[in-house]
Amino acid sequence: MIIDIKNLKKAFDNGKIVALDGVNLQVDEGEFISIMGPSGSGKSTLLNMIGALDRPDSGMIKVAGRDLMKEKNLSSFRAREIGFIFQLHNLIPNLTVLENVEIPMFEGPYKDNMDERAMELLEYLGLADKADRKPSELSGGERQRVAIARALANDPSIILADEPTGSLDSKTEKRILEKLKELNREHDVTIVLVTHDPRVASMASRIIKILDGKIVGG
Amino acid sequence: MKFSQLILKNPFRNKIRSVLAIIGIAIGIATIVALGVITEGLKESTQETLRAGGADFTILESNTSGMLQSTINEDYVDKVDNISGVKESVGVLTSVQPIKDNPYFIVIGIDPSRIGLSQIKIKSGRSIKTPDEIIIGKVAAERLNKTIGDKISIKGENYKIVGIFESGNIQEDSGAFMSLKRLQEIEGKKGKVSMIYVKAEKNANIEKIREQIEKKYGENLTTIASLEDLQSANQGIKTVDAASWAISLLAIIIGGIGVVNTMIMSVFERTREIGVLKAVGWKNRRILTMILGESLILTLIAAIVGSLMGVAAIQILMHINMGGFIKPVYTPEIFLKAFTVAIFVGILGGFYPAYRATRLEATEALRYE
Repeated sequence: MIIDIKNLKKAFDNGKIVALDGVNLQVDEGEFISIMGPSGSGKSTLLNMIGALDRPDSGMIKVAGRDLMKEKNLSSFRAREIGFIFQLHNLIPNLTVLENVEIPMFEGPYKDNMDERAMELLEYLGLADKADRKPSELSGGERQRVAIARALANDPSIILADEPTGSLDSKTEKRILEKLKELNREHDVTIVLVTHDPRVASMASRIIKILDGKIVGG
Repeated sequence: MKFSQLILKNPFRNKIRSVLAIIGIAIGIATIVALGVITEGLKESTQETLRAGGADFTILESNTSGMLQSTINEDYVDKVDNISGVKESVGVLTSVQPIKDNPYFIVIGIDPSRIGLSQIKIKSGRSIKTPDEIIIGKVAAERLNKTIGDKISIKGENYKIVGIFESGNIQEDSGAFMSLKRLQEIEGKKGKVSMIYVKAEKNANIEKIREQIEKKYGENLTTIASLEDLQSANQGIKTVDAASWAISLLAIIIGGIGVVNTMIMSVFERTREIGVLKAVGWKNRRILTMILGESLILTLIAAIVGSLMGVAAIQILMHINMGGFIKPVYTPEIFLKAFTVAIFVGILGGFYPAYRATRLEATEALRYE
């Protein structure tokens, strides 16, 4: 079990807004799951908890063998275990595609051969010829593929994708999702994908539904 | 990509803002450099004046504010002469005369027979003999475009140039020497001199001679052998030094505010990007180092630009009119000070913005539009 969550709670604004209201979730290594729910349901908060971007108020959360309620070095946990893909690609505009892919490597195992590793990833995503371009010279789909390459930079055990195709047209969306699926199938990377779109969610092997901070089905 | 390369790229994402910040700090640095060069020049030329030729020390009026303000009764020259150990002494009168377009032409009156006690070397012609004769420094000769045989007019009277000298002291080299008696008449200072150059006997204890003079005539006279002695009597250099530090401090504050402002803007604009850096696992220390590094790059460029600007400003000043007044003296310490200030401002100004960047909540930062 790579993700083990029990009775996880998180509230904002001094308890006025309850984002997670006792969530239980177990994910096995190599699974591709989607978390589906309307906006404000708590799905992004749950993803942030798994990625250790935010601390829960109470409950239990273990990811990749680490107890995130107790873990002190969260930044190193993120660097080694987690690859984030955001709705907006969030690439750094003044850096080249290659350099953007290298950004996480400063804190990871490839810091001494960044260029090699980054080129390898760009080749895998079919972007080798774009390595020296700036993000602004790329199409939306290409940028999101760069973001995937960046998420893979440190060989993470889990990819967390928050509406990764939210700003893409349906044709590009399909290609990106297929790439994620291939990644999961061929490289055994666990993928947790958050979306409000049932079509996107159906790409996963398991769909978790969340509403008002509670898991309601899956 | 190296981390240092990443740091180098960031300050120039907003070129105009960075250039403006750099100019702001560079002006401060230029001021520090220019003032430093002038202060050093002032110190050196004062030092040279005190070490006139063969003189071992100089006597000034006590509690005077400077060499040009000092006035001593001429009869002290003989009194000093009689003190044991003194070989020779000569009284000189220093005055500022407007000549042509130079309002600061320094004319020194000296007994022609004792001119050897000043440090001047006659380059061409001969020394003065009569009250109608004058010798001018080589810088003055160039500036006034005069040579031996020409006349020079002081207070409506003409004096014949009989020689051109060189002393190495910029103030003297752009001025003139003439007979003490005549200069006293011109200035209305009969029986008065500005200072006395004293030469001791060989093997005499100079400190003992100075002690004796201070003991006997301490109420009216003070002896000066070095700039350090002068600083106790001469507030002028102290004031320039203090002003130079005050302006430097001001430059640090103004430059620092500029850096803080620029870096806060830069961090603010990159809120989401910093969120991404946190999400991919960057440690707070790395984010702090990056922002501090960017701030240091701004101030180091400013230090280079500012040093060049300062030197250029001095060169322009020399060209315009100050040339005869102050000799620029460049020391490594001046530039060391400029770079130290720049690094200080870079770290100080970058620290708060960098700290703020590390305090950003990753989830908030990623939501930031």
